[in-house]
This record gives sequence, C-alpha cells and structure tokens, in this order.
Amino acid sequence: MDLNVRTLLAPVLLLLSIGGCAPLPSGEPAAPRAEPLRYAGAYAGDLFWEGRVVMAGDVLILAGGSLTIRAGTEVLVEPAEGTQIDPDYLSSQTELLVRGRLDSAGTGSAPVRFLLVDPDVAESYAWAGITLDRAGDSRIVQTEISRADTAIRLVASSPLIEGNRIVGNRYGIIVQQQSAPKILGNTLRDGEGGIYCWRGASPYLKGNRISGHDEEAIFVDASSRPWLDRNSVTGNRIGLAIYSRDLPVDEPSFRDNGEDIRWLGRQGLPDRLP
Amino acid sequence: MRRLLLLLILCGTLANGQAAAEPATIYRGEQTLFADTVWSGEILIDGILTVAPGVTLEIRPGTRVLFTRMDSNGDGVGEHELFSQGTILALGTAAAPIVFTSAQPTPQRGDWGALNMMVGEADNRLEHCRIEYGYRGFHAHFSQASLRAVELRDNLRGAQFQESRVVIVGGRFIDNTNGIQFRDSQVELTACLVAGNQWGIRCVYSDVILRDCEIRDNLINGLNLRGGSLLAEGNRLVGNRRGLYLQESRGSVRGNLLADNSEHGIFLENSTVEVSDNRIVANGRAGIRWLNSAGRLFANQIDSNGVYALINDGDGPVDARGNWWGSADPALIALTVRDGRNRPGMGLVDTSAPLPAAPDISTIPEYR
Repeated sequence: MDLNVRTLLAPVLLLLSIGGCAPLPSGEPAAPRAEPLRYAGAYAGDLFWEGRVVMAGDVLILAGGSLTIRAGTEVLVEPAEGTQIDPDYLSSQTELLVRGRLDSAGTGSAPVRFLLVDPDVAESYAWAGITLDRAGDSRIVQTEISRADTAIRLVASSPLIEGNRIVGNRYGIIVQQQSAPKILGNTLRDGEGGIYCWRGASPYLKGNRISGHDEEAIFVDASSRPWLDRNSVTGNRIGLAIYSRDLPVDEPSFRDNGEDIRWLGRQGLPDRLP
Repeated sequence: MRRLLLLLILCGTLANGQAAAEPATIYRGEQTLFADTVWSGEILIDGILTVAPGVTLEIRPGTRVLFTRMDSNGDGVGEHELFSQGTILALGTAAAPIVFTSAQPTPQRGDWGALNMMVGEADNRLEHCRIEYGYRGFHAHFSQASLRAVELRDNLRGAQFQESRVVIVGGRFIDNTNGIQFRDSQVELTACLVAGNQWGIRCVYSDVILRDCEIRDNLINGLNLRGGSLLAEGNRLVGNRRGLYLQESRGSVRGNLLADNSEHGIFLENSTVEVSDNRIVANGRAGIRWLNSAGRLFANQIDSNGVYALINDGDGPVDARGNWWGSADPALIALTVRDGRNRPGMGLVDTSAPLPAAPDISTIPEYR
C-alpha cells in the first residue's frame, strides 16, 4: 500500500474506530450514570451490565451474543402484566432469556443482585427469572435471586451455578432436557420447591444447602440422573422425591424434613396395598 | 413441415423447463397486490408484500412461497413477510401441499416474519399447508380464519392471534419455540397435534374448545388458559411439564387423558371447572393441584401419580367425591391427598364415596 492510499484510509479508519467506541445501549457503559440504564429487547452483541441497571421488560440474549454482569451489579426488574403475549419470549412475566452466553460474576463481597424495582408489589413471585435455553458456556456465580417464578431454568444448558443465594422464589432451579450443570455450594431457601430434575437432566449437585421449602427440596423424575454429593437438605416438606431405582443417594444429606425421602409413583400409597 | 412443428414443440418444452428452475414470480421491496391474484409454482418474497383490502390471493396446490431473510435491527427475527388485509385462500392437497418457508440455504427459526392477516372480513382459509422457519408462522388480528391440515413447525411461534375467530382442524404444531398463543379470541382446535414446543398452547381472555387433540412433550405447559373458558373433551395431554393449567378460568374437562406430565396433570388456580371422566395418571408431582378453585371432580381415575393424587393449596374445600384413587380404602385414600389435614390453613378435600375400581375407561384415550 502506498502512502497516498494510507492517507485516504486514515480518516475512514478513525471514523470507524470512533463509531466502535460509541456508548451504545448494547455496549459497555462509558461512565457511571446517575440514572440506571434500562434494558429490554433482543441483544445480538456482547452486553455488559454494571452498577445499577433496570430490566424494563424481557431481555433476550441471542445465540452468538453474551451478557456479562459484573460483581456488585444490582439488576432492578420491572414486573410485567401477567397476561402479556407479546413481546414475551417464553414467560408472560419479565424474563431474562439467554440463548448465547451468560456470565453473572458476583463475588462474596460484591454479589450480583436481582431485585424488584418495587419490592412492595403484591405478587410473591413477580418476575419469571433467568432461563438458559441451549445457551453456550455460562456461569452464574455469587448471585442473589429472589421473587422469581423460577430463579434459574436450564433447557439443554450446562452452566456452572456456584455460591448463589436463591431465596423466596417459587422454584429454585429447574434442570431439564439433557442439561448437565454443576450446581455447587448454593443456598436455596423458602420457596415452593428447590431443585427439579426433569426430562433427562443429569446435574452434579454438591454442597448445596436446601431448606424451608413447602414441597420438595429435590425432585428427580424417572428419566433424570443427578449426582447428589454431600448436600444439606433440612426443614423441607419432602427432602428428596425420587422414583425407586438404581441411583446412588447420599441419605445422610436428608435430615429433619417432613419426609426425608418420598418414593414417587404411588401418590402416597404404600408399596403393597392390603 | 412436420419436422418444423416438432422442432417448435421441442423448443417450447425446453423453454418451459428452463423457466421452472427459477421462481415464476418475485416480489422485491414493499409491494401491494391491488387485484385478485393467483399463485402457482414457486414464489419468492424478498420484501414485504401486502394484499390490499377486498383483494383475494389464491394459492394453488403445490406452490412454494419462499421468503428471504432480512434482519435489519439485529433482533434475530427476519422482517420479510406477507401482510394481508384482504383474503387468503391457500388450498393445497395432501398430495400437493402449499409450503411457506425460508429461502435461506440453511434455514432457521425466525428467518422471515409471518403470514399476517389483519382485519379481514371474509374467512381466510388454509388447507394442507406447511409453514416453517417464520417468526409467527400464522398471525392474525381482528380476523377470521380456518386452518385444516396445516403443519406449523420450526417457527418461533407457530401461530399467534388476537381478537380473532379461528378454527383449526388437523393442525400440527411441532417443534416451534412456542406452539400457539392468542388472546381475546374464539378458538376451536380439533384433532390437532401440539408437540415439542416450549409452551404448547398459551392463551388469555379467550374461549377455547379443544377436542381429540394430542398435546405432548411441551417443556413448560401443554395448555395454559388465563381469564377464559375451556371445553376440553377426548384429548391426550401427556409428557408436558404441566398438562393443563387454568388460571381465573371456567370450563369443563371431560374424558381426557392427562398422563406422564412432569409436574401436574391439571393445575387449577382461581378457576371454576368441572373435571370428570378423565384418566389422570403417572404425573410427576401430583395428578391435580387445586388452588382456590371451585367446581367438582368426579368419576375420574386418579392413579399412580408421583407425590400425591391431589394437592389442595387453597383455603377452600374441594369436592372430590366419587373418584378412583388406586384404592377404595378411605384410610389409604387419605394418604394420597395433601390438604388441611396435614397442612394447617389449607382447605379439606372430600374424597368420600370413592369408586370401587377404575371407571369404565373405554371412551378415554389409552395411556401409552
């Protein structure tokens, strides 16, 4: 390339460079703002959240895109009408749906928090939660999630879910459709149910503390094969609900529940009827 | 002279063969049909095509309508589509169905927009069609439509409508992200298959008649209705997360199979429903979950469900007299029910007068 061509190209490259750094809604925030940025809609690129952000509606991270939530971020969720059918992606409630990658990267001292904009709304479970649907390499770490219908739902996705506080949701974590996540050292408390393994799920559950649920702490359907490793499951209505079959269960993990283990398929009837 | 004629015929045949290799008709950009139009062969829509009010677009059997992908705002949804304010008559045959699909070499859900029908006064009719790789395969507002033997697969939403009256017979809604969703509509579904979607059928403020349908393997709910009415007879709702979920609705659920759903066979929330003559078996958590609802539950087979046969999560009573619970022993039946007896504050379930055996189920679809 001769000098003349380079001289001609320079302003073009400069403009492209400036354009690439512009503070787009889907890009990195340029500087701290007084008002939190608001997000709703589908995002194809790499999205970064930090500080305080508002989920003003459904957020979809498209395949190939990513969402990084930095330590200490507060995500304020605006509940939606329970009757919306458009532009929802899966739930009628406000949802974070990830088909790309999610990195919710809290730390012990600076967790990521998902909160309601208005904590006084009447509904106990006022937003849908986070769904990973055939998502890429993802993790949810040191993140607090509350008042969701399902805090984390995994469909054919296998993220790392570690050290989170999942409190006061209807369901804590639903794992389904060939998902094989690592679920390590989380606290799940005070919901209807804790962890559900459905439709061929095979999560590794280790060191989780699951307590205070109105129904099952862990539910395993006939087609799922979780690895249950030294979890603490106490104070739930039912500790583990599982079909009777060849699956190793660390029974000492299940203590002081209304029923520690409920064998499924008999709807409460004894194995042998008189 | 004869040789010359043969040569002319041969040239004509070759020319026709060459023309068939490319779409007979191509619409680029934004265009409108202002006169009645008939399509056959292959049609390429590389833009947005509108059918003007009062105009009929007739699509002949075997026609393939291809849409190019244009996602100008990067939201993952293609925008090229058909927008009808007139009437669409797409009457394929079993042997020569009409196909609406993506023109992409590797098609994916959402490549193109929808078959949109807006404010049509006449009946739009689709028969023996396949609609695939769209955002909303079939989409209607303030319209009337009849779909017979239409297959909608691999769309982001198979069908979506609002303020419309839609009759669907023999429809197949397969492997869409969401199968069917609608609001403020009157909808009849007969002999349809809704399978492999996240949500099977989801609707609000609508009157729904569901007969002889199979709704299976949907990841969230088979059928969820909020604020509407439902008549469900002779259906199979199997292998979904929840089979049937009614919220603030009313209706009758009679003679259906609700089986092998991961969570509940039926979940009634603030609804008034008569549930009778159903086979509610082998659901994961409970056969029936009843939350602040009214109505009756009778003559059902409620057997072999996971944790419970029936959960009453509301503070009101449940009239569940006259069902089969897998046993006729009242003490054992009590074990199958979760209510105020073992959960303070919840209402009681009346399971008296149980059936002595599973009811005559010859009219209910078989399980497996």
